Amino acid sequence: MSFIDKISSASSSYLLVAFLLYCLAFILFVVSITGKRMGGKSPEAVSRRFGSAGFIMTVVGFAAHLLFFFTRWYASGHIPTSNMYEFMTFLGMMIILAFIIVYLIYRLPVLGVFALPVGFIVLAYASVFPSEMQPLIPALQSYWLKIHVTTAAAGEAFFGVGFAAGLMHLARTIRYKGDNPSPVWERRAFEWTIVFILLIVAFIGSVFSFNAAGYKATFVKEVTVSDTAGQPQVLKQDETYVLPPIVQPSGSQMVEMKPFLGMTKPLFEAPSWMEGKNAGRQLNTVIWSVIFGALLYGILRLLARKPLGAVLNPAVQGLDPEDLDEVGYRAIAIGYPIFTLGALIFAMIWAHEAWGRFWGWDPKEVWAFITWLFYAVYLHLRLSRGWQGKKSSWLSVIGFIVVMFTLIGVNLLIAGLHSYAGV
Amino acid sequence: MIFENTKCECGHQNPVGTVLCESCGKPLENTESSEPLEMRYDGAARRSQKANPSLLDKVWNFFSSVKIAVYLIFFTLLASSLGTIFPQESTFLNMDPSTFYKAEYGTLGEIYYKLGLSHTYESWWFILLLFMIGTSLVICSLDRVLPLYKALSKQQIRKHLSFINRQRAGLIQTMPFSEEDGEAQEWVNKLGKQLRKQRFRVHTEGAALLAEKNRFSRWGPYILHIGLIIFLLAVVMRSIPGWHMDKHMGFLEGVPVKIPDTSYYLKNEQFTVDYYKPEEMSEEFREKNRSVAKLYETQAVLYRCTDRCDDDDPVLEEVHRQKIEVNKPLDYKGLLAYQFDFQETPTILSMDPKVRNLKTGEAFGPIHLNMNNPAQSYDAGPYHLELKGYFKDFGMDDKGQPITQSNSPNAPAFIFQVTGPDLPAQGSVFMYFPRQIDQQNFRQDAINGELAKTLAISVDSMDDVQIAAYTSYLNIRMDRAMPFIWVGSAIGMIGLVMTFYWQHRRIWLRLDGRELSLGAHTNKNWYGLRREIATSLTKIGMPIEQKALDKGGTNG
Repeated sequence: MSFIDKISSASSSYLLVAFLLYCLAFILFVVSITGKRMGGKSPEAVSRRFGSAGFIMTVVGFAAHLLFFFTRWYASGHIPTSNMYEFMTFLGMMIILAFIIVYLIYRLPVLGVFALPVGFIVLAYASVFPSEMQPLIPALQSYWLKIHVTTAAAGEAFFGVGFAAGLMHLARTIRYKGDNPSPVWERRAFEWTIVFILLIVAFIGSVFSFNAAGYKATFVKEVTVSDTAGQPQVLKQDETYVLPPIVQPSGSQMVEMKPFLGMTKPLFEAPSWMEGKNAGRQLNTVIWSVIFGALLYGILRLLARKPLGAVLNPAVQGLDPEDLDEVGYRAIAIGYPIFTLGALIFAMIWAHEAWGRFWGWDPKEVWAFITWLFYAVYLHLRLSRGWQGKKSSWLSVIGFIVVMFTLIGVNLLIAGLHSYAGV
Repeated sequence: MIFENTKCECGHQNPVGTVLCESCGKPLENTESSEPLEMRYDGAARRSQKANPSLLDKVWNFFSSVKIAVYLIFFTLLASSLGTIFPQESTFLNMDPSTFYKAEYGTLGEIYYKLGLSHTYESWWFILLLFMIGTSLVICSLDRVLPLYKALSKQQIRKHLSFINRQRAGLIQTMPFSEEDGEAQEWVNKLGKQLRKQRFRVHTEGAALLAEKNRFSRWGPYILHIGLIIFLLAVVMRSIPGWHMDKHMGFLEGVPVKIPDTSYYLKNEQFTVDYYKPEEMSEEFREKNRSVAKLYETQAVLYRCTDRCDDDDPVLEEVHRQKIEVNKPLDYKGLLAYQFDFQETPTILSMDPKVRNLKTGEAFGPIHLNMNNPAQSYDAGPYHLELKGYFKDFGMDDKGQPITQSNSPNAPAFIFQVTGPDLPAQGSVFMYFPRQIDQQNFRQDAINGELAKTLAISVDSMDDVQIAAYTSYLNIRMDRAMPFIWVGSAIGMIGLVMTFYWQHRRIWLRLDGRELSLGAHTNKNWYGLRREIATSLTKIGMPIEQKALDKGGTNG
């Protein structure tokens, strides 16, 4: 084993350490806000102590995360932001950094309860993508890879913290009991937000466990593409599933499939208009995520015997809603200029250098633009039209969904110039 | 019409639409309420609040509304997202959209095309939306920045009591001393000193105080808007003829090609494509057995034509020489060339064959045959060759007449008039196909008949043939608006940083008898403002929690 190979294998263990430390920090923050009296100390003292412990744990985790980042950089010879796996681990790291910064300003332990999960869900999501180091293709051989990708991710990370604060604010202010409960749509919408997050958790969990179990199914289909001379060519395209195929790619033949719970062939075929690369696999993944997500939600709901929002609500009752609202706004206000610089201006400079045009309405560019416009709406409504509190929190939740779509959805659903970053 | 009295009790005459007296700050609307005040633009009247609006005023009013601006941004956002459902027409170089969308995406694709969404970003309604946003940026900014500037540059230190008490942050407290006491003056001075330490500018007038910091942050949004306007104007400027060029061109190795509408010629001297070697890959990736490109490089030479520019043999002068790689475009005085694509196109550029006497076995020459621009006559030992005809891409038309099928030397054919030993004095016609495959396909020996037995033209080895292996496709561009794009972006960025990384904060304070009234305002980040006041009061011996300064409300 060469020195570089040793470094690269050590690198992944640092990431695991960071992930575990973040989970531990999360638990410490949870203890800190429950407001329990412990060992004869007042709830305030307990909260302070566990809050600081959680924060220190986060910082140590962040250090391990940095170690992962730089050792991987050293081993691969280029900054590890060149594919989806590397980008998501970097985004996770930036979310933790944004949390650390906002925490230092406001010192609210509850922020850890919401922001850390955003960070480690993103990290766990990274593990869904192939993690091997890849050689850098010519299009990415530029120092703008370092500058553009890192600043864009930093800006988006602050939006992630804004999202966490928005969720906290909603959990705190949506009323489930009493004479004056919040409107039904609002309670439902919040519940659906929780369902959505559980879907993502279920998605990561299922990919993770089937991957660990070594599950595999392969399909092949013939696709006609035109070569550079415009002549049609028939190619065989493989699609490999890590989740048991409920649905097979449109117009494909099964090559191999491990039986799963007595299921030996896919239940149905994807509709013919879903012809995109890996469309069948993605549809299959979505179906599994919905099944597992619904299962996860069902179990939690049965345990709680009430909407999960109503479970969260009393837990955060001790918090000041206006402070939460302000934290969310501040995170977005800090992130907006960074995002503009990284995701638009630096992106335009690089695009000008690599593709010969600063703007080309590539789907990724359009969605970065949409994200920027969305937060422009958020800021105008908040600063000029007095949209504060719940309205603003809802916008920050939707905003981060737009961000995640830009980062992930565009790569998976829409092909474009940025598609090399996907899987 | 209702006559509106806009004169304040302090004697100041305010314009129609004023919310807070320009001089003392007394609220002119909702005077009975104790709710926090609407402090936007410090309550000054804006142009859009004129009493009897004319048509121009109405247009102004429409565009000056932030609500309209938000709608415009929101519609632009929606429209942009629609454009990403299917690839835009501009994604493809050669494609007929009227059939492509139906064939590729079915009925949905056809609807998409018919709705014009396949060219969303070039459609008139999308450009109209951007144009309206631009108008809104100008008018919104002008409508607000002038009154705000006036209001902030003539501030009174001693504000009306209800102005102070109706701020979102503040407190009322009974002090152990009275307004007239020397102790009061001393306390105010002490607070002023502390606030100066916190980088406030402090003004006092008796027992009244005004502290202010970071006023420049208020100009941030307007600077951002100026940057955006410059940016949008730069985008419009690109449609000026000659400001913008965008062409994709193929460059065969070794052949200078004219760049249309300019006096430049560009030659691809050599194209290189390089792949990663297995030992350059990580262990895991090696197992996947995939080849990954490492380098695409065109060694380019740029020429300027100095004479005979429209002829086949222009006079070229080298002006620039550079390797073009992805991410490293050629850049010469605003002319840009980007590595875009490549293709393997083995083509003969020129060759140095010898003229052979098959009877004696002697070989003469070589002669230099250029496939793109052959010379008219050649001498090889005793032989003299006159070029009678040249076909770059030889073929036959329907009538059996020889023609050239394209302008690329794919199947070059030479017709020579040869004179020399054992040949008639007037010469013989000899047809020569440089490519062996063409010699067979077009049956060169049969065409030349008897002559083929005595005379031949051929090379000794492939070393005497100059072949272009690749065509490099470059994207040739010119964009004179770029400097304005960057200037606009930079100004916008400065505006954003001013807006979001500094906060304009003001604190007013007055003593009425023993009663201290403190009010404070910021346009954002109230938590920070309250903490700053709490710190300063605590430091001068009046401990207070930041939360106690919060009077609630969402105005401001």
